[in-house]
Amino acid sequence: MQKLTSLLLTALFIVALGIPVTAQDATEIMKKSHLAYYYAGDDGLATVNMTIIDKKGRERSREFVMLRLDESDGGNQKYYTYFLKPSDVSRISFMVHKKVDGNDARWIYIPSVDLVKQISADDKNSSFVGSDFSYEDVSGRPWTEDNHTIKSESELDGKAVWVIESIPKKKDKGFARKVSYIDKETFLPLKEEYYNKKDKFIKEMRSVEIKEIEGFLTITHRTMKDIKKNRITHVRFESIDYNVGMTDELFTERYLTNPPAQYIK
Amino acid sequence: MKRILTELAIKKPWAVIGIALAITIFFGLQFPKIKIDTDPENMLPADEPARLFHHMTTEDFTLYDFIAVGVVYEDGAFKPDILNRIYNISSELEDIDGVIAEDVLAPNNVDDIKQGSGGSIVIGTLMEDEIETQEEADYIFSRIMDNPMLRGKLASKDGKAIALFVPIESKDKSAYVASEIYKITEKYSKGETYYIAGLPMAEDSFGAEMFSQMAFSAPAAMLIIFLLLLLFFRKVKIILAPMVVAMMSVIWSMGLLIVTGNTVHIMSSMIPIFLIPISVLNSIHIISEFHDNYKKYNNKAETFRHSLNTLFMPMLFTSLTTVAGFISLALTPIPPVQVFGIFVAFGIGVAWLLSLTLNPALSTLISEKTLSNFGASDDKHGILAKIMHLFRNVSRKYSKAIIVASVVIMIVAGYGLTLIIVNDNPVRWFKKSHPIRIADRVMNDHLAGTYMNYLVFESDEQDRMKSPEVVKYIESVQKELSKNPTVGATTGLPDIIKKIRYGLFEADSSEAFIPDTKDEIAQLLFVFEMSGGDSDDLFKMVTSDYDKVNLWVQLKSGDNVAVQEVVSHADAFMADNPPPDGVHAQWAGLPYINIIWQEKMVAGMRDSLMGSYIVVLIMMIFLFRSFLWGLVSMLPLTITVMAIYAFIGYIGKPYDMPVAVLSSLTLGLSIDFAIHFIQRIRELQKKTNDFSKSFHEIFEGVGRAISRNVLVIAIGFIPMMFSTLVPYITVGTFFLAIMIVSGLVTMLLLPAISNVFQKSLFPKNK
Repeated sequence: MQKLTSLLLTALFIVALGIPVTAQDATEIMKKSHLAYYYAGDDGLATVNMTIIDKKGRERSREFVMLRLDESDGGNQKYYTYFLKPSDVSRISFMVHKKVDGNDARWIYIPSVDLVKQISADDKNSSFVGSDFSYEDVSGRPWTEDNHTIKSESELDGKAVWVIESIPKKKDKGFARKVSYIDKETFLPLKEEYYNKKDKFIKEMRSVEIKEIEGFLTITHRTMKDIKKNRITHVRFESIDYNVGMTDELFTERYLTNPPAQYIK
Repeated sequence: MKRILTELAIKKPWAVIGIALAITIFFGLQFPKIKIDTDPENMLPADEPARLFHHMTTEDFTLYDFIAVGVVYEDGAFKPDILNRIYNISSELEDIDGVIAEDVLAPNNVDDIKQGSGGSIVIGTLMEDEIETQEEADYIFSRIMDNPMLRGKLASKDGKAIALFVPIESKDKSAYVASEIYKITEKYSKGETYYIAGLPMAEDSFGAEMFSQMAFSAPAAMLIIFLLLLLFFRKVKIILAPMVVAMMSVIWSMGLLIVTGNTVHIMSSMIPIFLIPISVLNSIHIISEFHDNYKKYNNKAETFRHSLNTLFMPMLFTSLTTVAGFISLALTPIPPVQVFGIFVAFGIGVAWLLSLTLNPALSTLISEKTLSNFGASDDKHGILAKIMHLFRNVSRKYSKAIIVASVVIMIVAGYGLTLIIVNDNPVRWFKKSHPIRIADRVMNDHLAGTYMNYLVFESDEQDRMKSPEVVKYIESVQKELSKNPTVGATTGLPDIIKKIRYGLFEADSSEAFIPDTKDEIAQLLFVFEMSGGDSDDLFKMVTSDYDKVNLWVQLKSGDNVAVQEVVSHADAFMADNPPPDGVHAQWAGLPYINIIWQEKMVAGMRDSLMGSYIVVLIMMIFLFRSFLWGLVSMLPLTITVMAIYAFIGYIGKPYDMPVAVLSSLTLGLSIDFAIHFIQRIRELQKKTNDFSKSFHEIFEGVGRAISRNVLVIAIGFIPMMFSTLVPYITVGTFFLAIMIVSGLVTMLLLPAISNVFQKSLFPKNK
């Protein structure tokens, strides 16, 4: 009896000790992952090609130049997007001031009516330009919004990974549970699985191609698949450039109507 | 042939019973393999173009069938506590299995785009959380009214009604989802009624209720028929045979239907109800004949030989004519009706065979002792006999008057036939007091409608639907359709474009127009996708290739007449104002599918009725080997069909699917009495060569048999009239009407004609 009690106590102690330790680790991993994924360099520039393929195989493509400037690592960011294709929407530009805590501010410039419009939306889960990526998927969901636990350590595509489960601290419309497969070497997510409140698998992100660019490991091709709609979005980054020396001034209304010539030909 | 069957049954009863039982067990064992299909869409063949197009449309635009849930408060529904209940109900129903949660149209699930400070626009959820103040409730109402995509859908214009639209994964889940929704509304209701409506739910619920009603009605009819037979013949052992014959015919034909891989559809679930009376009819004639003659022979084998000998031809022909009525359904272009016709026909064949074999075989097992006091001794003084004697006197005395009256009835009926309105609506298959009917009425009174049709504009060219001429054309069709009283609302691409302009230009309604350039249209739609507008909402109205546009046409009525009127209205407008080059329009949607199959059904049933009428006439001429008698024999049938359908015309009951299908039953059954009557009176005449004697005699045996049949069938189906499903009431009423009208005509008009035209009809024997 004595033995059993002490055994139980030890077990309890290990469990009690174990949970915070792994939680700490998991949160640390997710923080590093977030920074590696969304905050490479102080700023970044790329031409993005986005293809959405629906269940019937119908494709829609968009091409845009995207500029990003970080206020601080893990902090607020500014995005500027200039559309090149499809041709009937070319010259539309779009700007986001991402606030880590609070609603993002968005502006859009519509050339055919020569109008800049500010949009404030509280829904970061809504689709980014009709793709399967949400705004949050594009600019990143702060690791601080979820509780993370390491579920296992395993291997994916020949790479050692942590399998980490994230559960939103506050009820979230986008997902109820996320499982990320984080590359132990690069901290980049190789795969993310999203589940809804009924614990149904709803969408899957995959890193298809990772390249080292100017010393930064960058996911140059990723996909997001909507399981139920059986629709997939491919995002390919080209002409990537980091630390080009962007200034805050670029991310103002003035440049929405007149794209910065040094970055956008 | 008749000899062989009867002798076999009399001499080797156990063999006959054994074989019948073995076959019955075989078919009975097929029942667990039953496949049920309650989808009225299957009324059309799978490769029917309208159906294929409907499916392509639902695929192209990811459209789902939906259930509408609504509540009405006469003094205004937009109050905090009511909205909070709606909020809780809609949050909870999203978790029901089979509900497409993200597409639910509800205050807590739709975006609200409003003007913010400094000319910005603010996108939020219309009802983010439960509310507290009346101002918040008023605000939600005003936002719904400001949005042409929500107005009339989420709320009625007078603010008295609120509705939710709940899309479901597939139609066959709608009855289940509706029952789950009901449980949730019950939980939150503080006494108010939540109405649950929608075509797919009505159709699915009908299928479910139909099967449960069938499980009640068929045995109930059997029981009542059993009791009536007991009343007439007093011997359980004797009337057991007809019951066994009826049951076996049902088991054989349903078993064969299942084993041949056919699904049990709404139509085929009615097979038992049709087979029971038809198969009982022959048996009643046999027992009546046996009953009337047993005292004469005092030997059951002899009595059977005599009875079957007399009845063989009329039974063969009454069965053949009924088979003809039903087999003609196989020529209609509607698969479930074909299956129904073929298997009822098969069942009638089985019933005929069994009543000639199994019926006597079973009866041989009854001891002569049991039969000792069985017979016609008191029959000539019974009530039935007295009624028949009355008929005899009347038809003899007022022969000419009866003939004149019949002609008048036919003229009046002929006019009544022209008044028939062809109309159907699965919702109307429920009684007026049924919750589904009430929900349909209340919700369509207040809101923009629970029936959804789609008008699809197609082009071979990508991006064609972004061109201003096309969008403006669609807008003009919308404007025209909005004049139609059945159309509650139309929603389409032009509305999205106008709404974005309206939002961009600070809610200035003069800016809500379709722009003149393709680029601007493209950019506005892009803004919609950029500004949090759900691209899925957009692609329910236009394909991502922009080669097709889907205009949602919301209807307040699912009556085929009303739907047809809307379709014709649009078609006429588009004929006068042709769409831009390379664009053409085509309808889809469940209400549209329903009018297509109704069209096919009406034409198909008319042809099949005409065809079988002619076939029956030829059979009669052949049976009686007389053109004149052939024509006379058709009179009860003709008058019955005319009278019943004229009655439908006069009272304004719509000619719908059940009414149409019942025409073959009417045709098949209402000739039967005439066959027995004519066959017998000619035999009597041959024997006696004295018309007065024959005329006198015909009202005894045959007369009583016919009156027993009338009573058994008519009363046996009275329970169906208390059903909550209209087609059941219709079927029960038809059985009653067919029996009474054709019985009356046979026992009044045929004697009258025989009397007046006796010289031509009964040429003196050489």
